[in-house]
Formats: sequence, structure tokens, C-alpha cells
Amino acid sequence: MTSNNNYSIEDLKAWDDKICKIARSHGLDWYPINYEICNYYEMIGHMAYHGMPSHYNHWSYGKSFERTHFFYNSGQQGLPYELIINSDPSIAYLMLQNEFYLQVLIMAHCVGHSDFFKNNRCFKETDAKNMVSKMRNAKKRIQGYIEDPLIGQDRVENFIDDLHTIRFQTQRYNIPRKSKSEIMAEEIARYNRLKAEGIELDFSKLENGLLRPDHDILSFLLEYKTNWKTWQMDLIEIVRDESRYFMPQIKTKILNEGWASFWHYKILHELNLSEDYHVPFMKMHNAVVRPHIGGVNPYHLGFYIFQKLEREHGIEKCFEVREIHDDVSAIRLFLDEDDFRELNFFSHQKQKNGDVIISEVADHDDWKVVRSDLIKNTGINTIPQIYVDRIDKDGTLVLKHEHDGRDLEIQYAERVVDHIKNLWGDQVKLYTIIEDEIWEV
Amino acid sequence: MSIFKKHNTNADRSATDRRRHKEKIEKAIKEGIHDIVAEESIIGQSGKKKIKIPVRGIKEYQFVFGRNQGSKGVGSAQGQDIKKGQKIQDGKKQQGRGGKPNKPGNEKGEEFYDVEISLDELARYLFDDLNLPDLAKKSNNSVTAEQIKRKGYRPKGIRARLSKKETLKNKIRRQKQAVKNGTYDPDSGERFPFHDDDLKYKHIEVKHKPITNAVIFFIMDVSGSMGKSKKFLARSFFFLLYQFIRYRYEKIDIVFISHTTEANEVNEDDFFQRGSSGGTYISSGLNKSLDIINERYNPSSWNLYAFHCSDGENWVEDNPKAKLAMQSLIDICQLSGYIQIIPEGDNIYGTEMADVFAPLITDSFKVLKLTKKEDVWPQFAKLFGGKYDLKQ
Repeated sequence: MTSNNNYSIEDLKAWDDKICKIARSHGLDWYPINYEICNYYEMIGHMAYHGMPSHYNHWSYGKSFERTHFFYNSGQQGLPYELIINSDPSIAYLMLQNEFYLQVLIMAHCVGHSDFFKNNRCFKETDAKNMVSKMRNAKKRIQGYIEDPLIGQDRVENFIDDLHTIRFQTQRYNIPRKSKSEIMAEEIARYNRLKAEGIELDFSKLENGLLRPDHDILSFLLEYKTNWKTWQMDLIEIVRDESRYFMPQIKTKILNEGWASFWHYKILHELNLSEDYHVPFMKMHNAVVRPHIGGVNPYHLGFYIFQKLEREHGIEKCFEVREIHDDVSAIRLFLDEDDFRELNFFSHQKQKNGDVIISEVADHDDWKVVRSDLIKNTGINTIPQIYVDRIDKDGTLVLKHEHDGRDLEIQYAERVVDHIKNLWGDQVKLYTIIEDEIWEV
Repeated sequence: MSIFKKHNTNADRSATDRRRHKEKIEKAIKEGIHDIVAEESIIGQSGKKKIKIPVRGIKEYQFVFGRNQGSKGVGSAQGQDIKKGQKIQDGKKQQGRGGKPNKPGNEKGEEFYDVEISLDELARYLFDDLNLPDLAKKSNNSVTAEQIKRKGYRPKGIRARLSKKETLKNKIRRQKQAVKNGTYDPDSGERFPFHDDDLKYKHIEVKHKPITNAVIFFIMDVSGSMGKSKKFLARSFFFLLYQFIRYRYEKIDIVFISHTTEANEVNEDDFFQRGSSGGTYISSGLNKSLDIINERYNPSSWNLYAFHCSDGENWVEDNPKAKLAMQSLIDICQLSGYIQIIPEGDNIYGTEMADVFAPLITDSFKVLKLTKKEDVWPQFAKLFGGKYDLKQ
């Protein structure tokens, strides 16, 4: 060990005790945390699998590793100081190379994250208790399919390739999706109700009403395509469940990081750190929550929001927001014109000639435009929304893009539609709008 | 209380997925080979030369937004003065830095989109699965390569080989001895100059080492019917051949022979550039090779390779002669081949040369047909008994 990290696990434990005591005194309520101490190489390995201790194999995770490793080694990118997953107990990674004060900061930060995972409404359905073992089992089953001579690596890999292209085309809001049989039951009830009123519907047309616009394309494929093999159905569910598990994190990136930063800041002030720790800690904290000029730093914005809430409404309000809000609702409700001015947010637009210009600044006239652009660039809104519209008589699956002013990158869309064709096993059409004209892929 | 544990496994958890990813890149390179081979000059390239290969199929596609007018970004400029309409990125400068506008992938940092590799690496990617036909390489003591080796130091030598380090060491040694003996006082400020005896020169020994060597004959019909697209295919094929054989041998000679009804030895540029008109005697190119072998390349000491590209047409009266000459070549070559290039849609009048040569096929003589650029790699792999999967 080098001089700047000559600390032992006992030292970490001692500081963890202090951190936990302070956090508990403030009413934080988190899952137990298991810290794993690893080197940078292992850290990159965990990052490739989003920190999941066990995850199914796919070449894309190898690509992700190579990419991070390359950027890290060429100095273009540092590694995240913390990596913690939403599970009970939470699993967090501490990099061996970190200096001691940084480990203390990370531990305080992780307590905030784990509290957020445990208490925020969006995470209620993520099954934190079982997710790690579910993923471990999924990995084993997929390994079994790969080793099965009747299935094999190529089929499994190609199928996952197809599924990954639409992994985030799933339910965005906590509105439960209606299954095919539920829709059927509703339609029959409607038919009978109308019949009782003396209106006779053509029963044979019932079939037409069985498909509602469906945003959860993976679930749709699972239900409406009939000849899946068992292993394929299993894979669809594995990929879909993982997306559902990560969806709350995508939706609460700003609040989650803000909450964790808000608490590491509070806790470390109460730890009575000596001067040698306090100064580097403050430096690190300021680096983490500094605004990214030209971009949006979720740590910065989230920290700003919680500080403002505490200042104006007290700590109780902060706990309420951490429980019931996501990024979009928080931006909408808690940031006003003054905040946009203070944060000096602006919208920018790419011109035909490739120049990027500032289209709006946060002044009295335009701050709401900037806010709506910020919301469009937040969390799940950065991913275009595609839904199943109908199945044509000839078996063609018709998809539509919910156009909100932003066009699709058409070359990408074409390739994704090819992948969906592989899954659907028949023709697939996608309707969108490109430069104000209806476009069919 | 939290639990702490040291990560104690040595398992490199992403190793499997990295290997699959690498395999995908290599596969993509192999599939992209026909796009690059045509652009490379065949010889005169060192193995270190870097070439860019567009690699497909390892991108992960999802629905993403493009950059139309409605698609805006948001940023913070806390503490800075900004105003509406201000330009924050210059489109022209972006292009200048190599970014291609409106092309997917560039903005998203898909660093694997173009893979840059050296010709050596390319050869390794391509050829590791392939084997030369199981024929013993001939080694020849009279053909040697000079190998230069350092071998100690000598008191005499040329100025350029003076070893400053050894020379200085001698001087220091002498100086210390002088101080010890009391003949020199280091504090006196007096100079202690170099002496002729201090000088040491690096000694170099030239070794001659027998090497295995090879000569490749590239023979091509350049008659009027060999148009641009046919030559393009021939060039691609010859490029692979050259790279492959170069990969296996230390020293390699290349002989280019172009022919119509007569054959000439030409240089590389003429070989691919110059077009002729007139008819075709396939035998002329083959006989010319035999002549050159007689003059310069004794089959007992050279590994011989001969490959003939043509569009399959020949004057009928020449067919028996061609067959005879080809048989003579086959007998002395390690490997030879006839590559018939007929682009899709072209018809051929009379007998195809491929059929004339078909009876001669052995393990060391192959007849191949190219109709489109996608054939180049699979046919090449066939020539060397590769395990390349033709599924694509």
C-alpha cells in the first residue's frame, strides 16, 4: 500500500459507524450496505455490468469494458468514485486506489443513495430483496441455453442483440399495462353491457379490439407472437425485467445524486473532521457538485434542488420530495424563473450548417421554453417513445413514433426495425415524422 | 453497520464478453475485407502501414433522436455571460476535426466504427485460420539474409560507432586511479582530458543466415476483354495473396507478368494500369513464367507460387498448349491457381478456361471463380483450405 492509502478495513469500519450514527439521527432509513473493496480493473469490470455482482454474458458488456478501459487509460475519463446498486442489502464498491478521505465521502454518499432506493416511490416495484439472486439465476439459465447443443451461443447472442435494441421501449409511467386476457375480459363485458342496452355488436369484430396502443413492446411481443420457444420467452422476460429494474434510476438520476450529495455534505460537516481531511473533502465535494458549463450535471442540479427546499421549506419537505418525486416532476414544481436565471440554463440548437447556437436563454420570456427543453433532455425523455399501433391483416406489425418535435435518427431507426422484424418474424412498419413529413421505415 | 470485504477473486469477470466482442470485430474485419483491399497498393507497403477498416455489426442500435431543429440540447452557463443567438460550436471546425456531419455514430463516440490496424495485424486477423498446403518449405543455404549483431567493444573503429558510455567509463576509471595514486588532485580545478586509450567502439558482426524464400508469379490477361471491374477483382485477390505469402516467408520476390497473345514481365503499376487490346493466348503468360523460373529461380531452392487471372476466354487453338504449360508449372510450384473472373451478367463464348484446367486440379492446384467482390475472401480462403464460414 502506498502512503496515501495506508488505512485498514478497521479504519473504514470505525468511520462507517460514525456515519451511520449521524445518518440515523437525521431519520435516514437505508438498506444495509455491503462494501466491496476492489482495484480499478475490477471496478471497470463491475461498471460494465452496471454494478450487478452477477449478470448474463453478452459481447456488448465486453465492448463496454474495453471502452471504459481505453478512455480511463488514455486519461480522457476518470472512474466514478462510487458505484452502488439498488438491492437489499445494497452493494457498493470502494476502489483501493482512493484516498482515505474520499472513501469516507463515498460511504456517506452511499448511505444517501441506499435511503433513496429504499424510500422513493419509483423504486417500490424493483424487488430490491431478490434482484441480485434473480440476475444470478438468469445468468445461469442463459449459460444453460448457450451450452445446449440445440440452441447454442449464436442463437442466444443474436436473440439478445435483437432484444437489446428495444430494451427501453417499455412502460415509462406507473400505469399498469393491460394483458391480452384482461383486454379480452373488458371487451366481453362491454359487449354484454351494450347487448343488455339493446345494442348488438358484431361479435366477430371483437378480435379487432384486442389490441390497444402498447408502449411495452417486449411484453407485446411475448403475448402476441405465438410460436416462441421456451428459452426465448425466458430471455424476453429477463431483458424486460432488467429494464424495469433500471427504469426508476433513469427517472431519478438528478434527485438520487442530489439526495446523496446533500447527505454526504451534511454528514461530513458533523463528523468533525480534522483539517487534513476537511480541506480535501471540501475540494472534492465542490468538484462533484460544480456546474458543467454547457451541460447539465445531475449532482449539481439535484444538490441545488434539495438545498433550496431545505432553505425555503425545511428538512421535512426534503424527505417528502425524496419519497414521492422523480426528476421531471421536481424540475416542474420546484424550479422557478429565479432558479433558471441563477443556474443560467440555456437551450441550444444545431443549425443546418453544423453550427450550434444558443436558441433561448433563461430570461422572463423564454425560461419556460428552456425548462421544457430541459425536461425533454431528462432521464427517460432522452429515449424516443415507440408504440405498437396495430397488426395489419397480412401480419404486418405497425409501430408509431410519438413525435414531440424531435425527429428520429433515421439510419438507426432502420436498423432497429430490422431487429424487430427478426423478433416478429414478419413485416414491420414504423411511422414517424421527418422534417414535418410523414415517414415510413 | 455496513459490511466490508476485500474483493479476492482473480476472476476477470468480463473476459468472456471481451473475447466475444473481439471475435465480432475480427469477423467484421473479414467481412469488410473486400472494401479495403482494392484501395491498397499491392507491394512496397511495410507491415507497419496503418489502414482503416470500416467495421460493421458491432454497433448497438436503439431508437435515438437525430439533430433536427426541434431537437434541442440544454446546458448551464452559471456565472457566465451568454446571449441568445450566440454561436457555441462552429460546424466547419467540427468537420475539420474529422467529424462527418449527419453520419450516425460520430457524435456518439462509437470509437470502434473505423478500426485502424496495421497490415501485419490485418494479416494476422485474416490468415491465422488458414494454412499453406502441407508442403515442406525449401530452405536454401546459398540464399542468405544478412543479420547484424552487436558483439562487445573494440579499441579501434569508425567514429560513428564510438561508444560514449564505455569511453567515459574508462576515463572515470583512469581518473579514480590517478587520484588514488596521488598523480591528480580533483580539487585543483585542473582538466583531466580523455586519452586515446579511453576510446571504445561498438563492434558489429555480420552474420549470414540461410532463409526460406519464395517467389510469387502474378500472371494476368490484359487483353481487351479484361475491363476495369475484372481488374479490380484481380487486384483484390492478388493483394490478399501477396499479404498472405509475405506473412509466411522472410523474403519474397514478386514477378508480374501481363500477357495478351504475348507475355511481358512488367512492374506493378503497369500490371494494373495498362490496358491492351487484342486476343489472348493463355499459354504465353505461363510459358513466360517457366522461362523466368529457368533463368532466375531454381525450383530446388525457391518456393514457387504462380497465380493466373483471366476472364476465362482463350483462342481455342491455344488451349492444349495452355494446359501443357500449366501442368509444367504445377509440377514445380508449391501452390498454383487459376482464377477466372467473370462478373455477374457477363457471358462467355466457347469453352471456359476453368473447364480446360479442371482436370489438372490437385491439392496444389486450384481453380477458382470470382463473380463479385464478395467472392474474394471466401474464394481466397478456399485456396488455402481455410475454415472460413461461407454463411454470409
